[in-house]
Amino acid sequence: MDTLLLARLQFATTASVHFLFVAVTLGLVTLLVGMQTAWVVTGNHRWERMTRFWGQLYVINYVLGIATGIVMEFQFGLNWSGLSRYVGNVFGAPLAIETLVAFFLESTFLGMWIFGWHRLRRGVHLALLYGVAITAYASAFWIMVANSWLQNPVGYEVRDGVAHLTDFSALLTNPTLWTALGHVVSAALLTGGLLVAAISAWHLHRRTPDFALFRSSLRIGVVTAALAITLVQGFGFAQFAPVGGAQPTKFGATSPHAEELVAEWTARFGPGDYLPPVLSSFGLGFMILIGFALGLLWLFVPLLWRDWIIRLRFPLWLLMLALPLPFVALILGWIAREVGRQPWVAYGLLPVDQAVSPISPWLMGTSLIGFTLLLGTLAVTNWVLLARHAARGAADPALGRPPAQPPADDARPEPAFA
Amino acid sequence: MELAWHALLGLFFAGYLVLGGYDYGVGLLLARGADASRRRAALNAVGPFFLGNEVWLVASAGILFGAFPVLEGELLAGSYPAVLTALAGVILVTAGVQLRSRPESMRARTTWDRVIVVGSLLAALGWGVVLAGLLQGVPLHADGHVAGVTHLFTPFAAAAGLAVLALTVAHGATFLTLRLPAVEGDRLRPLARRLLRTALVAVGAAVLVGVFSDRVRAAAQRPMVGVLLAVLLVVALLTAWVALGRRRPGVAFAATSAALALPVLLVGATLWPYVLVSTVEPHASLTVTDAAASAPTLRLLGWLAVPLLPALLGFQAMCWWIFRGRIDGRAPVYW
Ligand code: HEM
Repeated sequence: MDTLLLARLQFATTASVHFLFVAVTLGLVTLLVGMQTAWVVTGNHRWERMTRFWGQLYVINYVLGIATGIVMEFQFGLNWSGLSRYVGNVFGAPLAIETLVAFFLESTFLGMWIFGWHRLRRGVHLALLYGVAITAYASAFWIMVANSWLQNPVGYEVRDGVAHLTDFSALLTNPTLWTALGHVVSAALLTGGLLVAAISAWHLHRRTPDFALFRSSLRIGVVTAALAITLVQGFGFAQFAPVGGAQPTKFGATSPHAEELVAEWTARFGPGDYLPPVLSSFGLGFMILIGFALGLLWLFVPLLWRDWIIRLRFPLWLLMLALPLPFVALILGWIAREVGRQPWVAYGLLPVDQAVSPISPWLMGTSLIGFTLLLGTLAVTNWVLLARHAARGAADPALGRPPAQPPADDARPEPAFA
Repeated sequence: MELAWHALLGLFFAGYLVLGGYDYGVGLLLARGADASRRRAALNAVGPFFLGNEVWLVASAGILFGAFPVLEGELLAGSYPAVLTALAGVILVTAGVQLRSRPESMRARTTWDRVIVVGSLLAALGWGVVLAGLLQGVPLHADGHVAGVTHLFTPFAAAAGLAVLALTVAHGATFLTLRLPAVEGDRLRPLARRLLRTALVAVGAAVLVGVFSDRVRAAAQRPMVGVLLAVLLVVALLTAWVALGRRRPGVAFAATSAALALPVLLVGATLWPYVLVSTVEPHASLTVTDAAASAPTLRLLGWLAVPLLPALLGFQAMCWWIFRGRIDGRAPVYW
């Protein structure tokens, strides 16, 4: 086992687990904004209960988003110190901006949102959720700016072997940025929408109480997911042109341009295998397959008429069965994008073997096993908790539960924590 | 410009130790075996601040990467085991605090509380060792890489890790005397004072070991500044101890906060103008300017930071303001 392979494995595992959670975060928060806005505008109690129920799931899911995100951020320095050394001047900037502009505020707002229930004015409380959502999208944007730079380095010049920033706006107009951003954001919406639809379907199928609440949720989920899958497909196909232009060697294409590039790299960086592993095309193919299959979500939309979707029952089953699909596609998509960039950290600029930290394989292996076990256990525990809370229903989620009223005759309330 | 970013990096990491420090302190105090409702009260005393506290760490890492990329790579990769320990701790605490109240059963909650205790322990020890590693210099070679990891295992690093651990527990206990309902808070005062005495001993020991360590003496560029700040640290702890004796938890908390921020200032000021001192090759040592990103990057980030910093600090202050004062039976309970 060599350090490079272990470091790459660690990156792949952490990034995959991270993405499974953040996609749900991004998708759910968008729906939550709609629900809480409806609550504040209409004053209808059902919207409050929906916000609490889905908000509770959102908050539980968020935990692992942070935990894995922290590992992601430190991993660059720990395992890929060459990355910061050679391209840190350029690549570091969007990451720094992401932590400050987005993540810092997102968590600060979320803390206030969770504990601000029954304490802040409704408008302020709602504004906090808007803050959480906006910063979450900002976070996705800046991370994609950083990632797109690795896919297609722009706006820099190399002096003494180190990349220096020359044109920041080039990072923002990177051809690999905007379509990819649209694709992942709509994929997140798809995931969030389908999650809401599938959980609602479970409750409707089991005929738990709260029919009205889960009926509305189901409708919101199905419509969101259907709209989102169309966007996913649109942005997905739109990605081929810019990605192919920026990365001729991706997806196993053997165009004259790709051969030229490989010849040039061989001259500059020495002989080597400059074509990505087939795993990348495998990821791409199966993702697209899932993408087409989920296009059938549109068939559920007419069934919303007169609640046929609930009365027929089998559509509920189909929705529950479809739930794993977007998650699998998310990982396949990242495999397509990231494995397809090999053997580069920054395409055509910094090969992976120059970027990896000079750490002994033992230490790297320990870190890989340790963090995989740690994050894996936490991820599974988190999903179990999510499933339990989803199944428990909307009767009384802990989120937004009114604090115990002090008895009227007691002048000095003792704390009641249970 | 580099100086401003150096200061900002210090500010955010010190902010993390102060704010995250009481999270971990409260986390460690869960080990006291208090009954379930007391443990829950302690965690909800941190409650609304918890998520806003740990982001200071993430922001420090962001600034480190954006403004000091070379330092980022070498510092983290060069202190691998310590950073790994600290990170594992941070993750256990973040998951533990946020998830512990989600299961209904008391057994599960108690298990999560143990997770929080272990996490807090690892985080406090880990960051203490990282700071010590900076102060005692690293084997930075001419090729720009830090070789090996055994350089971390010294008596000074151990003493500093324990000192930071003792500081966080004392800080956490002081925080609880300030935040818990008056009766409960008062009950914790003797414990907090005992912990402050322990912290004094631990800090004193770390300072002594440091003063007699050849590596620390060689790495320190301004030893007098270092000693002075160490004395200040001791003064801060004494102030907290006296203030708690006089039932002034606010003053005491301010003093323990200073005590958690001071180690960062101490490391930064003692090494100045260096950020990473090499123990093997004097020319390889990194000054703040060497470690900083190139001018265009710093300028870009600078333009951004000017409007952003007031917003960041403003929203944090908003959180502190909204949830100021002692918690009572009517405070929302979630963790
Ligand atoms: C017909 C359907 C789809 C098409 C044509 C498509 C196309 C693409 C392409 C070309 C890429 C590679 C971009 C690159 O290598 O830079 C990609 C990446 C990706 N895909 Fe898809 N995709 C489809 C469906 C899906 C679905 C259903 C999901 C998940 C719910 C998904 C999630 C992703 C993700 C996360 C990435 C990596 C980030 C990115 O490049 O945006 N895709 N997709």
